[in-house]
Amino acid sequence: MVPDLFTFAIEAEAVAGLLDGLDYFQVLKVDRGASLAELKAAFYRESRLYHPDRVFHVADDALKSNVHRIYKRVTEAWSVLRDDEKRRKYAADVSGPQRAQKLRWTEESETERRRAREEEIGTTPNGRKYYVAGVAALERQRFDEALRNFKAAQMYEPQNARYKEKADEAARRARGGAEPSP
Amino acid sequence: MAGEIAIGIDLGTSYSCVSIVRDGRPQVVPNEWGETTHASVVSFLEDGTVAVGNAAKRNILVNAENTVYSAKRLIGRFFFSEEVKKTQALVPYTIVEGPNNSVRLQIRGKQMAVPEISALVLKEMKAIVENWLGEPVTKAVITCPAYFNDNQRQATRDAGRIAGLDVLRIINEPTAAALAYGFGKDANQRIAVYDLGGGTFDVSILEIGKDVFEVLSTAGDTYLGGDDFDDRVVHWLAEDFLRSTGLDLRQNKWCLQMLKEAAERAKIECGQQGWADVSIPGICQDPSGKVMNLEARLTTEIFNPMVMDLVQRTFKVCDEALQSARLTARDIDAVILVGGPTRLPIIRQSVAHYFGREPMKGIDPDQVVSMGAALQATALLGAETSTYLLDVTPLSLRIATVGGFTEKVLEKNTPVPIERSKFFTTSRDGQDRVKIRVLQGESARVEECESLGEFEFSGFRIAGRGEVKIEVAFEIDTNGIVNVRAVDAETGMQANTTIRLSSGMTESELQASVAANEATQLARGG
Repeated sequence: MVPDLFTFAIEAEAVAGLLDGLDYFQVLKVDRGASLAELKAAFYRESRLYHPDRVFHVADDALKSNVHRIYKRVTEAWSVLRDDEKRRKYAADVSGPQRAQKLRWTEESETERRRAREEEIGTTPNGRKYYVAGVAALERQRFDEALRNFKAAQMYEPQNARYKEKADEAARRARGGAEPSP
Repeated sequence: MAGEIAIGIDLGTSYSCVSIVRDGRPQVVPNEWGETTHASVVSFLEDGTVAVGNAAKRNILVNAENTVYSAKRLIGRFFFSEEVKKTQALVPYTIVEGPNNSVRLQIRGKQMAVPEISALVLKEMKAIVENWLGEPVTKAVITCPAYFNDNQRQATRDAGRIAGLDVLRIINEPTAAALAYGFGKDANQRIAVYDLGGGTFDVSILEIGKDVFEVLSTAGDTYLGGDDFDDRVVHWLAEDFLRSTGLDLRQNKWCLQMLKEAAERAKIECGQQGWADVSIPGICQDPSGKVMNLEARLTTEIFNPMVMDLVQRTFKVCDEALQSARLTARDIDAVILVGGPTRLPIIRQSVAHYFGREPMKGIDPDQVVSMGAALQATALLGAETSTYLLDVTPLSLRIATVGGFTEKVLEKNTPVPIERSKFFTTSRDGQDRVKIRVLQGESARVEECESLGEFEFSGFRIAGRGEVKIEVAFEIDTNGIVNVRAVDAETGMQANTTIRLSSGMTESELQASVAANEATQLARGG
């Protein structure tokens, strides 16, 4: 299918040229709100288009190299966006002022994500353990148990604002106080 | 080119198999005696020729020290590794240390690298197809266990090159099996491939979306295979004999070999009919010179408890693969069994129980991998690709940091091909080289990971400390093979790369091996 290959080569060259300015959503041609199933469908669609096997038999080295470069970015995009936590951070990064530096998931992104997670649920293993148990108890409406766990978590991390906030919430609900209506 | 044929080779620990695609359908190519699976055994004969396959297997006893089997257990390993020590204790041929901690075999006064042995098996596979077609073939896809690391993959590719093959691709055995299963089915399914070979165990979870075969996860144990089942039977036979005669047959490599063969046969027979009689007349002599016979009956009731822990170990690996894929056993639509040992009823029953469904019938566990490899080989040659294999890397890629620790660069089960860059700066004024040690594994400690080599970069700008920023790109390609290159981040100038501490063969060694392989005559005889 020679004419097809010719068009394909032009397209691949154009995409390869733009690649470093695209975010992962653009690489996979999905919008920011895409569901996991839509992302996966996009990964399959782009694989059918840019998988290096498609041009394995072709003698055109420039085409091969372009396709290879594009496809490696496709797998990179999928491996980051398929992970909820990474995706949230990535989407925030590329919406911010640092967009140009944050288009690719780097080691820094990885470190920042770890730090964010620690901030969210705590920096000590015991603090995290009691906090997670407290959240679970809260979900089951067992407010006394939740309160006990949040208090225990606070013993390990007295400065943790989230622990305090949650302990207060559990205490309030244990007393039968109504949730402040939204 | 129309009409060009590419072959698919399943290079197994115990047996190998070769296929081609004809009229769009994969088919196994038999040798001149109609055999479709060939023992991965290489026997160096007195006249300088080499016998490969089932004929060579018969030589394990009569030409023991010049007959190599289970080479796949040694391929891509370091001399000091556990597996090499274990193999050394069991086999009658001589394993010695080569340059850079590599493994060499000492045969008829000559030292050979492990890929050179595997290359002779590949040469035989190539010859089988050429004999069948009546025309030469050079292009091939070769399979390897999904859990093989970079060293083992590179060594497998080297073996192909030594055999004079143009290795189009190294693909994973379970992925090949899935391709053969799903080819032309137009299915949307999640499948599990349970691949218990002679020396390795792999499980891969795949999602098939019509023409796309996506590996969701893979897990494995490169130290678990059918041979371990044989060893249990050997142990049972030897202990029994020891109790009744006071003689330990395992002390003599010749007796041990007899036992191993009998054990393998008994295991297979017992699997087929529920019992097997073992009889080895004249296995040894007692100290007074009296000839002793070994007689025993193996039954399912004896065999199953003996291997139960091995079977359980495979399910730990299945748990891991499912967990990585974020699925449970109930989410799997079809289970495919691969490898001779999966013919054992205890495996079939346990797999059915674990997944809550019967494994697929009508798939030959010895042939399906080479058929998938042939399909992939043909797809790579063709102008119109009709299937897409989206595979993953089985092991995390790491670099060594300070104090014997490692840092992860790419997570296991990441889709390939993929690339990840890291930046390094010089730490001394006038520094002219940067060394990076690359490893694979799941441990934070260097000694618990497999070392792939040390990359040394030079030829970048020389300036003050911290002024030179070097971008190192780690790539895992479609073969699952790791490539590392570096550029000066500011000038974009490519740095020179030297690889050290690698057990692989050097370019000049490879070239010499290609010539030696070409000159080697394969013995033809039934």
